[in-house]
Amino acid sequence: MSFLKNTKIFSIYLSQIFFFIFFIFPIIWILIMSFKEFRDIIAYPPRFIFKPTLDNYSEILFGPGGIANFHRLPDYVKYLFNSAIISGGAVLLATVLGVPAAYALARGNIRGRMHIAFTFLSFRFAPELMVILPMFLIYTQIGLYDTYIGLILAHQLICLPLIIWIMLSFFQDIPTAIEEAARVDGASVFLTLRAVILPIAGPGIASATIIAFIFSWNNLIFGLVLAGSDTRPVTMGILQTMTFDQIKWGLMASAAMISAVPGMLIAIYLQKYITRGLTMGAVK
Amino acid sequence: MILENRLSVSSRTSYYLMFAPALIMLLAVLYPFFQGVYTAFTNQKLYLESSTFIGIGNFLELFKNDEFRDSIYRTLLYTLAVISVQLPLGVTVAWLLNQNNKIQSLLRNTLVLPLLIPPVVAGLMWKTMMQPQSGILNWLLNNIGLPSFSWLSDTNTALISVVLIDTWVFTPFAALIFLAGLQSIPNDMIEAAQIDGASSSLIFRAIQLPWLFPYIILVTLFRVSDSMKSFELFYVTTRGGPLNATRTLHITAYEEAFRWANVGRAMAIVFFLWIISYFLSIFIMSKWKRKSEN
Repeated sequence: MSFLKNTKIFSIYLSQIFFFIFFIFPIIWILIMSFKEFRDIIAYPPRFIFKPTLDNYSEILFGPGGIANFHRLPDYVKYLFNSAIISGGAVLLATVLGVPAAYALARGNIRGRMHIAFTFLSFRFAPELMVILPMFLIYTQIGLYDTYIGLILAHQLICLPLIIWIMLSFFQDIPTAIEEAARVDGASVFLTLRAVILPIAGPGIASATIIAFIFSWNNLIFGLVLAGSDTRPVTMGILQTMTFDQIKWGLMASAAMISAVPGMLIAIYLQKYITRGLTMGAVK
Repeated sequence: MILENRLSVSSRTSYYLMFAPALIMLLAVLYPFFQGVYTAFTNQKLYLESSTFIGIGNFLELFKNDEFRDSIYRTLLYTLAVISVQLPLGVTVAWLLNQNNKIQSLLRNTLVLPLLIPPVVAGLMWKTMMQPQSGILNWLLNNIGLPSFSWLSDTNTALISVVLIDTWVFTPFAALIFLAGLQSIPNDMIEAAQIDGASSSLIFRAIQLPWLFPYIILVTLFRVSDSMKSFELFYVTTRGGPLNATRTLHITAYEEAFRWANVGRAMAIVFFLWIISYFLSIFIMSKWKRKSEN
C-alpha cells in the first residue's frame, strides 16, 4: 500500500517537473542565446558552456559600435519608444472610456445592455483583419496611417473589450449596499462612482489596465497593417533582425528578451489577476 | 415619491452619459467593419481609391480555387488539432497544479510566462529550437536515439510543428481556467468521497471532470475562435510555407491584400473566416446552455 502510494506521489512529482521543464526551457534557451557570441550560437552540438557576452544587448540598444562608439539611437530603441506610446496611450484612453461604461453596464438599467456588452466582446473573437484591413483603407485616405493617434484608436479593439469586461465582472462583485447609502445621502451617480466606487476599484482597474497593456504591447498584426516607418512597434522590431538571407540570432534573442520584459514582470508580480484578465472576467 | 422619480430620471441620464463615450468608440469601430463587409463584394485594389461592386464575384472565384479550399481544410484541421491536444493536456496540467505539494507553485509560476510574452517571441524561440541542422530539438531527439525531424521546413510536418508551438503558448491558458474550475469545487464534496473510500481517479471521473464541463466549453470557445484566426505564430514561423503547407485562411487573406493587392478578395476571405468562426462559436455556446438547463 505504502509502496503504491509512494509510486503515485513520485509520478505526480515527475509529471510536474516534466511540464515545468517543457514550459520554462524555450525561454531559458533563448535567454542563454542572447548572451552568446555568433560562433557559440551556430555551434553544433549546442554549447552549454561558453564565455557570456553582452555584445548583443549593447548592439541592439546602442548600435553596432556599442556604448563607446555611440552615434545615434538604433531603430530598436525607437520601436520600444513607439510601443510605449501606442500601448500606454491606448490603455489610458480605454480606461477613461471603459471604466465608467462598465460601471453603467453593471448598475444602470441600460436598455439592451447585454447586447451592447456582447458586441464589444465579439471583437475579441473576430479575425483582426476584419476590422483593420478596412481601417487601413480609411487611414490611408484620411492620413491616420502610420500615426500614433491612428494606432491608439485601433488598439481600442484590444484594450476596450478587455477593460469593459474585466471591470464589469469586478463591479458586479461589489455589493450595492455602500452605493445605496451614498445615494440616499443625496450623492449623484457621478459622485458615487468617483468617491465611493473608484477607491475600492483600484486593484480591479490596476489588473485590467496592466493586462490590457501587455496584450497591446505584444500585438503584431495591428502594427504590420497600420504602422509604417514612423510608428513601428517593438514586435516588428524583433522581426527586423531577420533579413532576407540570414537571421541575426544573437540580436533576435536579445531583442526578444527585451520585448518580453513587461510580460515577464507581470507574470511574476501580478499573477493572481491573470486568469480573470485572460478570460475577460468569465472566470474569477 | 416625486423626489424619488426625479432622482431616478437624472441618474438614468447619468448612466447613459457614462456609457456614451464607449458606445461612440464602438460605433467608430463598427463603421470600418461594415465597410469591410461591403469591400468583400467589390474588386477593391490596395492603392486605388475607386472600386466596382461585383456582387458575389469574389466568393465564386474563391470557391473555384483549389488552393482556397485547401486552406479552409487546413484552418479547420489546425483548430481541431489544437483543441484535441490542448483540452486533455490543460486538464492534466490543472490537475497537477491542484496537488498540494511544493513543485505545484513552481509550475504555476512558470505557466503564465508563455501567455504573457509576445507571440512573436514565442514563435521565434521555437523556430530557433526547431532549426533542422543546428536546433536543440533535433539534438535532443538524436541523443535519445530518435532520428532528426524536419519540423517547420517540411510540408508534412510544418502544420503539426505550429500546433506544438501553439500548445506551448496556450495550454497554460486552458490549465489556469481549469484550475480555477477545480478550486471552485466545494471541499466537502471531495472530502465526503474520500471518506467513502473513493480513489483519486474515481473522484476525478465522477466529480471533478463533470464539474469542469462549463469550463471546458469556455476554453473550447476561446481556443476555437483564436485558432481559426491564428495569425502571428504562422507569420513569424512559416508565413504559410513551405509550399502552402501552413497557409491558413487568415494568412491567405493577409497575403492576398498586401502581396497581391487584391483587397476585395482578401476581405471576402476574412468575411468567410469570420462567418464560420461565428457559427462555430454559436454552436459551442449552445452546448453550454443545454447543459446548464439540465
